[in-house]
Amino acid sequence: MLPEVNVMAMSAVARDTVFALRRQIAKIEGTLPERLQAPAPGAPIHATGSGMTPDMTIIRRGLAVAAADAFLHTGIERLDTALGGGLPKAALSEIHGLETRDAGTVAGFALSLVSLILKERQGQPILWVGTAEIFHEAGLPYARGLSALFGIEPEQLLFSEAPKLLDALWIAEEAARMTAFAAVILEIRGSPQRLDLTATRRLHARAQSANRPVLLLRQAGEADPTAAPVRLIVSAAPAASRETVAGPLAGSIGHPAFKVDIGKSRTALPGQFTLEWNPDEHAFAERTENSVAVVPASQRGADPAPASGAVLAFPALASSAIGDQPSRQQHPAHRGPRRAG
Amino acid sequence: MISHRDNNTQRIAALDERAEALKLKRGMGIADARAMHPSIDVVEADPEADRRLLEGLADWCDRYTPLVAIDAGDGLFLDVTGCTHLFGGERAMQDEILTRFFQQGFDVRAGLASTPGAAWAAARFHGNRIVAGGEEEALLAPLPLSALRIAPETRASLESVGLRTAGAVMAAPRAPLARRFGAALLLRLDQALGRLDEAVSPRLPVAPLSVERHLAEPVTLTDDIERLISRLAVALKADLERRGEGARTLALLLFRVDGAVSRIAVGTSRPLREPRLIQKLFHERLTALEQNIDAGFGFDLVRLSVLSVAAFDLTQGDLTGEADDDDADIALFADRVRARLGEAAVLKPVVVESHLPERAVKTVPFAEAPQRRAPAAGRTAPPRTAPPMTIYPPERPVRLFRSPEPIEVPATEIPEGPPMNFRWRRALYRVARAEGPERIAAEWWRRLPGEEEAPTRDYYRIEDSEGRRYWLYRQGLYGGAPEAAPPRWYMHGVFA
Repeated sequence: MLPEVNVMAMSAVARDTVFALRRQIAKIEGTLPERLQAPAPGAPIHATGSGMTPDMTIIRRGLAVAAADAFLHTGIERLDTALGGGLPKAALSEIHGLETRDAGTVAGFALSLVSLILKERQGQPILWVGTAEIFHEAGLPYARGLSALFGIEPEQLLFSEAPKLLDALWIAEEAARMTAFAAVILEIRGSPQRLDLTATRRLHARAQSANRPVLLLRQAGEADPTAAPVRLIVSAAPAASRETVAGPLAGSIGHPAFKVDIGKSRTALPGQFTLEWNPDEHAFAERTENSVAVVPASQRGADPAPASGAVLAFPALASSAIGDQPSRQQHPAHRGPRRAG
Repeated sequence: MISHRDNNTQRIAALDERAEALKLKRGMGIADARAMHPSIDVVEADPEADRRLLEGLADWCDRYTPLVAIDAGDGLFLDVTGCTHLFGGERAMQDEILTRFFQQGFDVRAGLASTPGAAWAAARFHGNRIVAGGEEEALLAPLPLSALRIAPETRASLESVGLRTAGAVMAAPRAPLARRFGAALLLRLDQALGRLDEAVSPRLPVAPLSVERHLAEPVTLTDDIERLISRLAVALKADLERRGEGARTLALLLFRVDGAVSRIAVGTSRPLREPRLIQKLFHERLTALEQNIDAGFGFDLVRLSVLSVAAFDLTQGDLTGEADDDDADIALFADRVRARLGEAAVLKPVVVESHLPERAVKTVPFAEAPQRRAPAAGRTAPPRTAPPMTIYPPERPVRLFRSPEPIEVPATEIPEGPPMNFRWRRALYRVARAEGPERIAAEWWRRLPGEEEAPTRDYYRIEDSEGRRYWLYRQGLYGGAPEAAPPRWYMHGVFA
């Protein structure tokens, strides 16, 4: 799995040239842009391990070097690191909810990602494709709620309700190849047979060529084979209390919180994160303690710092950066077979 | 032989040649006919089916002229003004129509004249005659009064005074005729003679633009039809450019060899004239209709009509030639989805001023939604200045159910308070935290007189023991009038 080549230290100019050439080769070969980051030219130099120089980059066969801006940074360094730089922007990403009643949470998480995307593509519309079944079971996204929470204006929203799964896939494929949408969300309930590797591959390829993200929301679906490089499993987390001048207000329901598991990622082992969405700043904050956070997000800047500098693509090495997972007693429900994928 | 019921008597409504040979006549009683010829076969008339057949024939006649009108129960008017040269002149056109009808098994009489009245008379009393302009009088004069398309009572009273032919009526002085028999008689006469214009009202709106192609060899494959569409669209583009317009509704008419006509329409959300895009729209429509279009032995005439047009705004492309007009892309995308999956396949939320959550956002089909205004280049819109807020707007869920779902609430902490637990979709939820209530009253100003006022709703934000957040409401109040229904609980939405 890991045929690797060490590119030893060389001059900055030569390194740039090499990366440019590699990207070109990858483009010609039509391979996936992978999460091998080009180290920033001015990257801080310190050794991350014995015998490893900061210039070291690991190349996996058939994988190309991705540009640094190919990832959507969630703002949570630990999660970004675990995902190898963030959520790929020009790709299909799967977001799973374990049950249909999690639809609100999954939709909320997807929309917060969209909200982050919209910071760069202001005012661009987003398309939400769903089957009639899911809109009936889980409700239609409510424009008034979205504008307050995620800053997505009603006129930016476009829904498409397809009677059947095949139609939904067709709409999503057609939309994914367009550059006019900031993001396309496809929402499917259950594990239909048609939503197989081929279907996801088609979506992924279109997202790549259009350089736009496609989010596939799977409500109550199995961890089927997928072409999406990243699969996140989102479930609800108790919200923090509301902040008032006199401190947190007991018994109130504050900012939305999500429990995010990495179900599939080419660079990371499964990990779990608890994120809180800040609707005022449109940014995520991580909740490190497992109890309900009462400290305002802005004061809690010091997340456990992950290893900085060049990031290695070894799953084994990356797992060390994931670190402190919540203890299992507190999350017995998420002990399930989450690693499939 | 076909019978129909007229004044409680079964009478002969229509009959074939063999029945005619037996000296049976239209209007004769069925009982009499049976007495004369017991072996005749009588079928009940079916005016609906006749009408459908006539509509089908009218559709088919669309190939000759867009102006086709149905005349009573047994005739068609074709306004062929300006169309005859396409078919090699009047005589050739009439012959072709008759031949085609004959091949389809219809016995048709045709008359061609410069007025509808004269053509009507020529078709019914001469058969296949072409009346040149100015000959109407000569044509009508020897004909009986029924050639004038007048009411039977008028005809009877005219006959009773000895005027038995159209010529006799023409020769009679006009003023007494009008006085005695009404203006309708002279109107019909003048219309037949061309002294007054008579409008033939076509059954379908006439398309402002149409292009068509007659095919020597009928096509059956969808691919071929699509190729034809793009060729026709190219021809259409020139016309649309000349008029400075774009198409809003397009119709494709496929004339099958055996006379059936398929009509396929697509709508666009913005004026369109690009052949490639037109072809794309029809591609989706044809894909969706694949099973419903029966090509049979093939289509021998394909026509592309523009049913409605709108002014086409020209936009200056930039020098790189890749002006990416996102709105146009989205409009085209929406059109294609609509063409394939129906009008409601692409929806746009529109915010409405209302307190009721389900009314505050309306989802409308894309085509009816107000268009997004493209931000003018180089000029940024001033940031929306929100009034200083002292009261935060109430939180709204990210998903709202189409209709609130009833839930069972066994107990609330205090009578008017949030539930302690509830049962929704057969699963029990324990409430960990609750916020509320937010009271939303029914909109009394919308209430119709006599309608009972809807009970107020108290909305609660609920977080269950697993951290999911819901939006519940209680409809009605506890402790109301004893005969009033107890309050009911509903699930209306879910929060992120």
